Amino acid sequence: MKARVVAFLRERAGLDSTGAEAPRMIEGGASFAYVFGSVLVFLLAFEAITGAALAAFYSPSTTDAWGSVAYIQDQMSWGWLVRGIHFHGGGAIVVVAGLHLVQTAVAGAYKRPRELVWWLGILLLVLCLAWAVTGYVLRWDQAGFWANKVELGIAAATPLAGEKIKALALGGNDYGNLTLTRFYALHVIVLPAVVTLLTVAHVKLARKHGTTAVRRATAVPSWPDQAVRNSLAIALTLAILLAYVWTQHGAELAAPANPSQAYDARPLWYFRWLLELRDLAGGAEKIAAMVAPAIVAGFLVMLPFLDKRPDLTVRARASWLVGLAGLLILICALTLMSFARDGRDDDLAKRRVAAGEVADRARLLARTNGVPSTGGIDVFATAPMWKARSIYAQKCAGCHEDPKDRKGPLIGPGHGNRVWLKAFLEDPSGDLFWGRTKLVKESKEAQKIEEEKGAKPDVPKPDPKPEPKAPAKADKESPPVPDTGPKDLAMKPSPVKGSELDDLVEVLYAQSGATDVDAAKVKRGMAQFEGACTDCHTLAEGVAATASPNLFGLGSRDYYTSFISNPKSPIHMTEDMSQMPRFDKELTIVERDALAEYLVWLRTATKADVDALGPL
Amino acid sequence: MTSGTVIDMGENDPDRRKFLKVATCAMGGGVGIVVAAPVLRLVLDPAGKETVTSPTEPLDLGAANRLRIGEPPRRVEVIAPLVKDAWSASQNVVLGAAWIRRTGPNPGDLDARSAVCPHLGCAVGWDPDKGNYLCPCHDSRFAIGGDKLSGPSERGLDALPLKVVDGRLKLTWIRFATGRSTPEPV
Repeated sequence: MKARVVAFLRERAGLDSTGAEAPRMIEGGASFAYVFGSVLVFLLAFEAITGAALAAFYSPSTTDAWGSVAYIQDQMSWGWLVRGIHFHGGGAIVVVAGLHLVQTAVAGAYKRPRELVWWLGILLLVLCLAWAVTGYVLRWDQAGFWANKVELGIAAATPLAGEKIKALALGGNDYGNLTLTRFYALHVIVLPAVVTLLTVAHVKLARKHGTTAVRRATAVPSWPDQAVRNSLAIALTLAILLAYVWTQHGAELAAPANPSQAYDARPLWYFRWLLELRDLAGGAEKIAAMVAPAIVAGFLVMLPFLDKRPDLTVRARASWLVGLAGLLILICALTLMSFARDGRDDDLAKRRVAAGEVADRARLLARTNGVPSTGGIDVFATAPMWKARSIYAQKCAGCHEDPKDRKGPLIGPGHGNRVWLKAFLEDPSGDLFWGRTKLVKESKEAQKIEEEKGAKPDVPKPDPKPEPKAPAKADKESPPVPDTGPKDLAMKPSPVKGSELDDLVEVLYAQSGATDVDAAKVKRGMAQFEGACTDCHTLAEGVAATASPNLFGLGSRDYYTSFISNPKSPIHMTEDMSQMPRFDKELTIVERDALAEYLVWLRTATKADVDALGPL
Repeated sequence: MTSGTVIDMGENDPDRRKFLKVATCAMGGGVGIVVAAPVLRLVLDPAGKETVTSPTEPLDLGAANRLRIGEPPRRVEVIAPLVKDAWSASQNVVLGAAWIRRTGPNPGDLDARSAVCPHLGCAVGWDPDKGNYLCPCHDSRFAIGGDKLSGPSERGLDALPLKVVDGRLKLTWIRFATGRSTPEPV
C-alpha cells in the first residue's frame, strides 16, 4: 500500500518512479565551512514563520501599531518569545551572513565562474539590512520612530532625488498612517518575495558551480555527510539565539512614538559603525553615512575584478584578503567604539533610565486599561486622575506647589484632612496656608503701620476680619485702618484650643462629606463654631454671610468645583481677598469637576499615593 | 558537479551513515519543534480568551414608558460604554442590536430578543406586513414572541434580560452560539 502511494506521488510529481537519482556530491568532502548558507536559509525560514504569527496580531496604523505590539509583548502567551526570535533573528542573519561572506572570500569563491553567486550574495545582504530598517519602524515606539527619522533624514540628503526618496518612503510629507502601511507592505510582502527569489537563484547557482574544492580530491554525498553538519550548525545557532532572546526577555519595546518627546535615537546595532563614523566625521556626517557604505559595497562588488587570477591559495590573494579583513575589522572596531561611547555617557544612562520608566509605565497602563482608540500616546491619559493632574500642573501648580515661587496656600497630599484643618486653624497665616498671599502680606503691613502709630484700638472694627476658607474668628479686633493703603483682613488664629479645637475641626471636616465623621464631636464642635466663627462665617448653603467665606460643603467636590469656578464669589473669598483667577471661562465644567475630584482624593492621600500615580 | 569517486575513508560505513541520517533528522525535528511551539502557542492564544469584552453593567435604553402594549417590536442598538478589543479600549461601541416590546400592563411585562439570527448570525429584521421577524440571509421566520416559524434556524430568537430600574429600561447583552438547538452563551 505504502509503496503504491509513493509510486503514485512520484509519478505525479514527475519523479523517476523506478530508481533513486544520483545523490548531490560535495567536492572535497563535507565541511563545517559550508554550513553558513544552510543556517541563513533556516534563519530566513524562522523569520517567515515568526513573522506570519506576528502579522496575525499586528496593526499597521499610527493609532494601533504600538498597542498591538505591546499586546503581543505583554499579554499574549509567549508573544515576547516569538517577537524576540523575530527581532534578534534579524541580527543573527547579519552575523551569519558576515561569516558566510568571510568564508566565501577566504575560499576564493567569488572568482570566475562564481561572480554572479557572489554578487547575489552581496545584494541579499544589503536587502536584509534594508529589511531590518523597514521592520524597526513598525513597532511605532520611541526607539523605532526616532531611528527611522534619522535614517530617512540621511536618505533625504541623497543628491538630486533625496527629498523624493524620503517622501516616497514616508508616503507623503510627514509620518503618518501611510508611513506604516508602506513600510509594512515592504516588510511583509515586497522584501520577502524579492529575497526569496534571489535566495533561490543564489543557491541554485551556487550548487551548479559546486564547492571550490581546495581541500582534497574526494567527493562525498551531501546527504547525510553535509546535512548532519548543517543541522548541527542550525541547532547550535537556534540555541544561541534562544538563549540571547531569553536573557533579553525578547525585544525592547519603548514608550509609544511621540513626536514631541525627545529620545536618544540609536540605529540597530549593525548600523552602529556608521553612527560612530558620523560622530567622528563631525560636519561631514551625511557624506560619511552614505560614502562609507558605498565604499564597502563597492569594494565587495569589485573584488572579483580586482583579484582575477585563478590561483585559489590564500597566499596568492593575501593582499586582497588583508584588505577585506581590514574593512571588517574597521567595521567591528567602529561598532565597539560606538557602544563604548554610549557606555561612557553618564547623562545618556540617566536619560535611558528615565525613558525606560516611561516605557514601563505606558506598557503597564496598556495592560491594565487598554490603549485608547485615539492612539498609543493617549495610554498615559488612562492613568487615574491623569486629566485633573495635567490641568493642575498647567493651571494650579505655579501658585500652589513647592518649591516653586508659590503665591497661594500649599496644596498636597492630606489637604483638608483633620491634621491639615487643625494646623490651619492654629495658624491661618502660616507659610503653608495663607502666609504667602497678598491678603496676609497686606494685613501684616497694616498691623505694622498701626504699631508705628502706637495707637490703641478705640473702636472695634465693625466688620471683623474676613476669613478665608476656615472658621475661627479672631478674638482680638484690629485697629481701624485707613481707607486707603493696606487693610488687615486676614483671619486670626483660633481662640479655641485643645480638645475643643478637635471638636471644631470635626465640624469643618464633616462638611467635606467624609464617611468617618464622629457625630458626637460634631455636636460638641457646633457650640464652638457658634461661639468663635459665626461672626464671619456661616454653614448655611448659598448664603453670603459677611465678607468671609461661606463654609457650607467645605472640602467637598461641589465646594471645590464652585470655588475653582469663581474664588471671588461673595460666598467664597469675595473680590478683595483673593488673587486667584476664576476658571469658569478657562476650564470646562467637566475639567473643573475633575480638578475637584482630584482635590477630594488628595484629602485621604499620602505622598506615596501621589507618587504611585506616576509621572505625567 | 556530481563527479568524483567516493573514496572509502570510513565515511561509507553503513552504520555510521545511518547514524548521521538519524542524527540529522532528530536535530531537524528538534529545531522545528522549538520554533513551531512558541509560534503555535501565540497564534492559538486568543482562541480561549475574551478578546472583545462585554459590558459588565446592564445597558440603559431610555425611559420605560416609551414602550406601549400592542406596538410592534422596536429596534434598539446595543451600545457599550467601554469595550476592550484586544489592545484597544474604545468608548460607545456598537455591539449589535435587539428588538424590544411591551407584552403586558405590569412594569416587568417586557420582551427583548437579540437581533442576531440563531442560525448563522445575520441581523434579523421585523416584517411589518406579516407581523413576524425575518432573517434576510436564509429566510428564517420567527413569531413576535420569538418562536421559530419557518426556515433553517434550529431555535427561536434568543431572549435577552430586560428590566425596568427607576423607570429606565436596562438590557443585559449576551452573545449566543449560533447553529445550536438550545441557546448557549459564548
